Amino acid sequence: MKLHKTCDGLRRRDLLKVGTLAAGGLTLSGYNRLAAAGQVAPGHAQRAIFIELPGGPSHIDTFDLKPDAPDTHRGTFNPISTNVPGIQISEHLPKLASCMDKFVILRGVSHTLAAHRLGQEYVNTGSKPIPALEYPSYAAVVSKERPSDRDIPNAVAVPKASQGPGFLGIRYSPLETNAQPNFGQTFNVRGISLPGGIGIDEVKRRQSLLNKLDRRFTSLEKNDQLLDGLDQFGQQAYSMITSSRAREAFDISKEPESFARQFGEESFGQSCLLALRLVESGVRFVTVQLGGWDTHTDNFSKLKDNNLPKLDAGLSGLLTGLQQRGLLESTAVYVTGEFGRTPKINSRSSEGGRDHYPRCMFMLMAGGGVRGGQVIGESDDTASGPRHEGISPDDVAASFYHNLGIDPTLEYDSNTGRPITLVRDGNVINQLFA
Amino acid sequence: MINVTETINPPVTLPDSTAPHSHRTEDSMKQLSTRLLACCLAIAAVPILNPKVVLAEPVSPIRTDQSAGDTVLPAPPISSRYAADSAKEVPDFQKHVMPLLGRLGCNGRACHGSFQGRGDFQLSLFGYDFSADHQALMAENTGRVDVDDVDESLILAKPTDADMHEGGKRFEKGQWQYRVLRNWIAAGAAFKQGQTQSLEKLEIQPAEIRFATDADQVSLTVIAHWADGSVEDVTPLCRFSSNDDSIAAIDETGLVRSGDTGDTHVIVYYDNAVAPVPVLQPLSPSKFDAQQSVADTTPTQPIDVLIQQKLDKLGITPSGLCTDAAFVRRAALDITGVLPSTERVEAFLADNATDKREQLINELLESPAYAAWWATRLSDWTGNNAEQLNNVLPVRNVGTKLWFQWLRSRLENNTPYDQIIEGIVTANTRQTDESYLDYCREMTLACNGDLDRFAQRDGMPLFWSRRNFQKPEERAIGFAYTFLGVRIECAQCHKHPFDQWSKQDFDDFSKLFAPIRSGNANQVSPESKETRDELMEKLTGGKKLNGGELRRAIYKAAETGVVVPFGELYVNTRGISDKAKKQRAAAKKKGNKLPPVRVPTGKILGIEQELELSEDPRPALMDWLRDESNPYFAKAIVNRVWSNYFGIGIVDPTDDMNLANPPSNAALLDHLAVEFIRHDFDLKWLHREITLSDAYQRSAATNASNALDRTNFARHIPRRLPAEVVFDMVALATGSTEKANQLRSELDEMAIADGKPRQRNQSNFALDVFGQSIRETNCDCDRSDAPSLLQSIYLRNDFEMYKRIADRDGWVAEACKDLGVAAPNAGQDPKANAKQRAADALRKQLVNRIKQFAKQPAARQDKQREKAEQQFDKATQRIADEFNVPTFASLVADPNSWNELEPVTSNKRRAKNGNADPASDKPGLERIVDQAYLRTLCRYPDDSESEIAMTYINESDSPSDGIEGLMWALVNTKEFIISH
Repeated sequence: MKLHKTCDGLRRRDLLKVGTLAAGGLTLSGYNRLAAAGQVAPGHAQRAIFIELPGGPSHIDTFDLKPDAPDTHRGTFNPISTNVPGIQISEHLPKLASCMDKFVILRGVSHTLAAHRLGQEYVNTGSKPIPALEYPSYAAVVSKERPSDRDIPNAVAVPKASQGPGFLGIRYSPLETNAQPNFGQTFNVRGISLPGGIGIDEVKRRQSLLNKLDRRFTSLEKNDQLLDGLDQFGQQAYSMITSSRAREAFDISKEPESFARQFGEESFGQSCLLALRLVESGVRFVTVQLGGWDTHTDNFSKLKDNNLPKLDAGLSGLLTGLQQRGLLESTAVYVTGEFGRTPKINSRSSEGGRDHYPRCMFMLMAGGGVRGGQVIGESDDTASGPRHEGISPDDVAASFYHNLGIDPTLEYDSNTGRPITLVRDGNVINQLFA
Repeated sequence: MINVTETINPPVTLPDSTAPHSHRTEDSMKQLSTRLLACCLAIAAVPILNPKVVLAEPVSPIRTDQSAGDTVLPAPPISSRYAADSAKEVPDFQKHVMPLLGRLGCNGRACHGSFQGRGDFQLSLFGYDFSADHQALMAENTGRVDVDDVDESLILAKPTDADMHEGGKRFEKGQWQYRVLRNWIAAGAAFKQGQTQSLEKLEIQPAEIRFATDADQVSLTVIAHWADGSVEDVTPLCRFSSNDDSIAAIDETGLVRSGDTGDTHVIVYYDNAVAPVPVLQPLSPSKFDAQQSVADTTPTQPIDVLIQQKLDKLGITPSGLCTDAAFVRRAALDITGVLPSTERVEAFLADNATDKREQLINELLESPAYAAWWATRLSDWTGNNAEQLNNVLPVRNVGTKLWFQWLRSRLENNTPYDQIIEGIVTANTRQTDESYLDYCREMTLACNGDLDRFAQRDGMPLFWSRRNFQKPEERAIGFAYTFLGVRIECAQCHKHPFDQWSKQDFDDFSKLFAPIRSGNANQVSPESKETRDELMEKLTGGKKLNGGELRRAIYKAAETGVVVPFGELYVNTRGISDKAKKQRAAAKKKGNKLPPVRVPTGKILGIEQELELSEDPRPALMDWLRDESNPYFAKAIVNRVWSNYFGIGIVDPTDDMNLANPPSNAALLDHLAVEFIRHDFDLKWLHREITLSDAYQRSAATNASNALDRTNFARHIPRRLPAEVVFDMVALATGSTEKANQLRSELDEMAIADGKPRQRNQSNFALDVFGQSIRETNCDCDRSDAPSLLQSIYLRNDFEMYKRIADRDGWVAEACKDLGVAAPNAGQDPKANAKQRAADALRKQLVNRIKQFAKQPAARQDKQREKAEQQFDKATQRIADEFNVPTFASLVADPNSWNELEPVTSNKRRAKNGNADPASDKPGLERIVDQAYLRTLCRYPDDSESEIAMTYINESDSPSDGIEGLMWALVNTKEFIISH
């Protein structure tokens, strides 16, 4: 499978930060606590779909157009009206424009990390990366706080997720499908169906033998993420194999064609359809990736011909589909890349490109308690920075957790016993839920 | 109460550190600029400079007018020199002004260091582009620096917030920071264009910090030593960071506060120097009970001595040594990637020799699997990737195989590491004196399956042909990744935040790679063009074919053995690009006057002297790599090999050696690198040295002091085995004895031996799920050893797994046969068959090696004869009992004389076979259970495990169901999938 590569090529998959020898806790200082949770409206969502746009999508060409900006900045795309009066987005997102009432655009979101890996770590955790430990992904936190039933994975990533479980431990890693579904074709994760010739009873007998024999490293497990993770995955694999629920959930060909078609026929759209089926079946958290946003060169044709049509069909299909199934009110949706792109067009290719730009970017939110049809935040005249105080990734993360009924000020002990606040510096954006 | 003690160890003396080095060039060392050394020294100097003094407090300001005997006393810190309003000193742009702006955060990514600047004012990110920064400050009509109306300068008004500043107030008007900037402007805001001053050394006091409690603190003092002889306390101009602030937090003034026990580094940044200071806080003394594993031997080998020194500082007691059963599995899997056979495990366990671990290590290093597995690892690091080699050769899907085989044959011969790399770095497509036609003929044969023909060629140019290794910048990044273990890509756009490299360094380095042309199957050197056109003419019969048709015609011709044209690597040493040449020709035609051609130049990383690109720069690069003073080359490979054995590098991640990511045990890394070079880059020496250490042989069981440590090698840390190893383990454990022995001896189908080569756009599902390296992004993280749910699902329920376990050719079927009415043995004993095959593989290997030896010049032969003969004798010992072995001398005289094995028919052999199998008198089922354990976990089951397994089998519908279930359960234990 081809993964989209970003320009700095970094995809550290096994980052495990270690060093401290302490097992006991120490007092926490320096982390800001959020305002008392009672001051904001309670979240509704039971589950979440997180759409990652690795590479960093341009904000000024998509959801934050500046038609009056000078030619050095504005780009070639024009704005169009949406089904919410007063809100305009790019002409290459017509389907999303017609369901603007279902989601919120956050503009003028701002941070400072312009490297792919660091930016991803930030927006995918809600805490600025620090060298000593790795914060957990949203998927890992939700898996821990709201575990699914045993026979269905807590979290699934289609095809992969860029952020791991960090200090929460490998056991909270999502099931990565390593593949994407195609329109109209059966999709299955290899190995989750029982092959012919082996009965459920036989599998159960074998598992009980395994439980009796797999004892050698029991004493080391509590201190070892690897052993603990292997144990967890083994138990869960068994539960999934012995139930039909998981494989039914993965099989998008069970959807009526007319329903499937509104997601578009690209793999990304069909991945959104899969995400919908999965959350409907009880998976708590689904990550869907759409890459290819690192448009240092040929920014406009790449967006127009490739990325935007995919995003437009897939995401509008997802929001509409969730509503048709009555799931939108209980499913939090969060869409983000790791940063925006320089509003000033560079000259690296004939039509120009845009480079990494964390100071101004967009994010999208929908579902659960989120009231769609709003724009929150604002960027300046050239989309070079927030017009007023910017929204931070921390704020959005706190809001996302809040929407899921998880206290963003929750405190965890890290694997070394260090207490860590889930979202260090974020405040829930009340306007989202108002 | 501050309780900081100086904890500097005298340099560890290791035996024989003065042996002469034969082939290192003397003067290449001189080339190393002071600049590179400066930064390396900044680190090396840390423990040496200040051997006695305890400096828990900043050195008190010393006035420059104090006399100081021989040593130059540092100028006091800028904060005190500019404390008074009357300060008249004029600061230096590089030494003071820019570091101050850096310290204030002005050139950070969030502020003016952003690529679009901020408020239209852009500084170079992380500094060190002095002329650009000076230009930005002095830009006309911006008012940033106003030498006529000094106090109106924006760089004074903005940070004091007198003029609205988005970045807020950075200092007050009366403060020293203000005066530094003001005095500089008032004196004309000077900067000497093109005269970067060189920082010789950054001295940090204290050089190392040891905290006693979690409530200690100490301030760092940083002294800069400049090449011009000036010395200054620059503490207020430095930036500081901590690699783990739970152990040591550091604030912006350089005050370090203690936290948890453990060890880490705080990092100091000034000018282009990045200097780490080790900080540690030991554990309180531990109490051990009988359940815990505690080492009971005193370290004797250098590796163990050096590790123990660090552990002593931390108060950690290492675990005891692992059991023989754990060792035989661990050593075999780590050294060769191959699960040992039941017979080998049993023989090892039964062996009473005191040096049996050493013998096993030697045996493993001599086995063909060693070369295969490490060729796989070297393929990872060198980026052997089918996708990137597409269309490089006129024959499809053969590039990665050639690459692998070329590496493998060198590892088999234990070619010194620097020579292997030389074959890659300085690779040419043609051998010396080989004609283009002969080259094409040879390559056609090689691509048609004669991989050894390619392996025997001197160079491996495919490295240069990869599609993602064409632009000079890509090559600079990839070259540094592969051979130096360094990630310089940050410096492509700005000063490297964690290392000394500036953007200029990166650009100069990249330029070296521009003249090398490779990767295009249609491109040949000018002198080969004619021959190439003739070959092409023959192929096409003069017809004009389009790209796709032509490629197919060539594929087809090559398949039938017709000599087809191959592309060439050649170096454009005309000092001018093809494009520029065309332009000049066009200009000349027009009658324009032409300026003289300027020969381009480039620079080797850290070397001041320019390299003229009028000749191939690669030999000079190679000389630099293998020079003993090269700070990266030997360390990079030593560290990667170490990481293979311990799951974590001494520097970790292994491809990210930089000044801010120092080794967890610097003395250990230095020792291994120095000795590796002294042993002429002998890889097997390195493997042996590491695997013979107690550190490698420690148990996975923990004790109270080392249970949480993961970085100091105080116990074995279980890790998930690599993808290829897991893949093969499953095949070996579940396959019949004959099948497994065949796999082991022939290796052809093993994943560790490239037996599942990846072609474009398709990889093996299981290898993919288990995280085989994608070899694509210049990152050791292209390989993943993390477990996942999908892996567990695969092992439990994939059809491949069921098929393997229930296979007719599988071990379960074999066991059933053994249990039932003894099947008539069809005359052939599968074990004897396998033994013969293994011996024959060894014979071929030895003959090959001797051929290589005999090919060398006589003088070289003489020099190596003794060693080669010893190796030969040792290798043949293993088969001498069973087969006749010729003498070394006779074989050198005629390597082809030993073309088949002759069995020995002596009494000796019979006597040997008389040894009864210790387990053979056990009842059938119990023996089957033993076998199942030995072939998966490499140990015997304990009584309770044996009991559980037998009960399970007896209660199953049929014995075969029962044994299948047992095998399924064992390959799904954690013990199977991890190292232990």
